[in-house]
Amino acid sequence: MMATTRSQIETLDPATLTLTLSLDVGLYPRDVLYAAAYVFLDRAYVLLDRQESRFIVHLRAKRPLDEPTLQAMAGEFENELLAQALRHQVVDANQRIIEDVVAVAIAGAAGDVEGTGDTGLEGAPLIDPRDPEDGFVADPLGIARPWEPDKQGTE
Amino acid sequence: MTPPPTGDTDTATVRLHRALYLEEAITEAAATFAGLASFAVRADGDHYVVDLSAIARDVDGDVVAEFCNFALANTARRRRSGHA
Repeated sequence: MMATTRSQIETLDPATLTLTLSLDVGLYPRDVLYAAAYVFLDRAYVLLDRQESRFIVHLRAKRPLDEPTLQAMAGEFENELLAQALRHQVVDANQRIIEDVVAVAIAGAAGDVEGTGDTGLEGAPLIDPRDPEDGFVADPLGIARPWEPDKQGTE
Repeated sequence: MTPPPTGDTDTATVRLHRALYLEEAITEAAATFAGLASFAVRADGDHYVVDLSAIARDVDGDVVAEFCNFALANTARRRRSGHA
């Protein structure tokens, strides 16, 4: 078995199609690890373990791979960890906004935007019938006009 | 370090860390693979120990490793949906 010190690869063995990654639990939340591992389930057998302050990720490719491809798989797993970590952060940072948007959307679909949040839209109609610029009735740009010559003027 | 599971014999033992795998997810995976092996799950320290026996050999793929993948997928799905 060839041991490497690069990156987070602990072992890499092309003969058995296996590689082992060692990850600091402080860098990657458990949910990020699950999300990254989930992406690889279709092309590798994944076994997670924990040793003290490290997550240990065992990967075994489902199909024959050469050594460079196996190394690339390790790199792809690390990239996936970073992508999922960023996604995790974005969701956390925007959780309130997401909840507000969904709440307004659901209230609007129910025909009532009276929400309990502080969105500033409480009681406002979705379309103001007195405003010709509001809604879809006015067509100042001529979007609703047919573009085919034989249909022009039929509106 | 727990070695990756391999399915080269009629029996196998898998150790799944209790901080990373849910018992319900493991038993759900065992139920999924009930037709391909017999499963006995027990807790042992930091791990769930899964003893597999009568593993079917006339199927494509590695039953033991696929079982581990299912246990992991079930755990991730359950944690994401707030079951744990």
